[in-house]
Amino acid sequence: MSARKIVLTSGKGGVGKTTTTANLGATLAKRGHRVILIDADIGLRNLDLVLGLEKRIVFDLVEVAEGRCQLRQALIRDKRFESLAVLPAAQTREKDAITPEQFSAIVDRAAEQADYVLIDSPAGIETGFRNAVAGASEAIVVTTPEVSSIRDADRVVGKIAAEGKPIRLIVNRLRPDMVRSGDMLSVEDVCDVLSIELLGIVPDDEEVIDTTNRGEPVVLSDTNRLRGIYEKIARRLEGELVPFTSFDGQGFLGRLLDALKAG
Amino acid sequence: MHQVESIQSTPEASAAPAKLGRAIVLTSGKGGVGKTTTTANLGTALARRGSSVVLIDADVGLRNLDIVLGLESRITHHLLDVLEDRVTLDDALIADKHSENLFLLAAAQSREKDEVETPKMQALVASLRERFDYVLIDCPAGIELGFKNAVAGAEEAIVVCTPEVSAVRDVDRVVGLLGNRFRPQLVINRLRPQLVKKGKMLSVEDVNAILRLPLLGVIADEPEIIVTTNRGEPLALRKENATGAAYHAIAARLAGDDVPPPMPPAAKPTLFERIGSLVGRKRS
Repeated sequence: MSARKIVLTSGKGGVGKTTTTANLGATLAKRGHRVILIDADIGLRNLDLVLGLEKRIVFDLVEVAEGRCQLRQALIRDKRFESLAVLPAAQTREKDAITPEQFSAIVDRAAEQADYVLIDSPAGIETGFRNAVAGASEAIVVTTPEVSSIRDADRVVGKIAAEGKPIRLIVNRLRPDMVRSGDMLSVEDVCDVLSIELLGIVPDDEEVIDTTNRGEPVVLSDTNRLRGIYEKIARRLEGELVPFTSFDGQGFLGRLLDALKAG
Repeated sequence: MHQVESIQSTPEASAAPAKLGRAIVLTSGKGGVGKTTTTANLGTALARRGSSVVLIDADVGLRNLDIVLGLESRITHHLLDVLEDRVTLDDALIADKHSENLFLLAAAQSREKDEVETPKMQALVASLRERFDYVLIDCPAGIELGFKNAVAGAEEAIVVCTPEVSAVRDVDRVVGLLGNRFRPQLVINRLRPQLVKKGKMLSVEDVNAILRLPLLGVIADEPEIIVTTNRGEPLALRKENATGAAYHAIAARLAGDDVPPPMPPAAKPTLFERIGSLVGRKRS
């Protein structure tokens, strides 16, 4: 059976694509799947840092594309999970150092030896984004509940939908207290605008900053609640029906968003 | 020697326009660190000091500066309309709602970044410098074509960085790409003093031990920023707010005023410390 090839993208930067890729990848590996993560952010790689593997990089994505090494030589095994590996991006090259065809070919080769290939897309909608999407057969769009992030996500959803690839949504960094006070958009608001299937809701958590800096994905922590949340996302991805925790709140921001949608 | 130089520079000086504003690009490499929010707030603060300011949203295809300023309904023309000579600059400049002397040149939303021609972008920024004291260019995330075009017309750079290892690494890369031009200055954004105190976040010193850039300002992370951004009312409109005031300090420093060096925002006492001080226990 061939692997699922999933791109994680967002349009807007800094919404948590890389953190989500690392945590979802670790969770899937923990659940017994063989997982390969590909950092498509050539020139601004970070997935290696988030996983604490930056010192182990020998070869990178572009070197594989150029045939200067084998895929297996470039893959870095995770320190904690035998079945998790990362293909790092090149740091001193440009995004156009690789073509969509080369990228897709590498993803396909990775898919032969994995159950899940997760592609961490760069921000924006330029060449790097197009490469990352080209290699995938499905997409996870990550957004935060902010007007600017949703607008960018909407643009990206349009581009991926045009290629006929299924898209699911992770709403990241939700602050339920702010939703309740009407200062943040609710998950319902976000889903209304984007009209794509919801895969997960991840609350904002201070500990993520620290765990990311230390290169230890937060799902490795026994005490953090995000561990269970990513577990649910992984199960939904596997096809299981898992109920969502819901938060209420509608107000000024929902209306503003409606106005934007109409405009 | 001195005389020769001054003679040579005379024709240039007479040909130059009376006013030549500063063209500054706000960039970061990593997305979501607050470039757009910083651009809107710094622009607002500069305009409130009496300078004339134009903000250019260089994020073609993923514009957001209009939202942060609350001007999304007022866009009639955009950057590419100007670059492709369909409208004049005056037709495309959108006057800000809140601050006089502040204007926005919006990005095109349904176009692509590779449709911007670098020489035209440079020419546009050059002509804006003749009309405005400050031209602030809000750069897209990444280091692709959108970044290159945003940087092309600028003379100076402000790099925005959050106290996170990944952001610091990306900024370091961008500083390298900027090279020796631009004299980059640093704004550290979204600092959480409480986390720094607990050793769970990089401090201002930690960040700048790596980047080694002149520090223009430090902005605290606070939910109020999300609220004001969503509402399209930059926090710099409220000088009484600590973060609003921090943006005004950045504006003053940028303008060359003699203001005290940036201080990291103070950590609010924790509940435990507050209770401690209430019962008269001395804080260690």
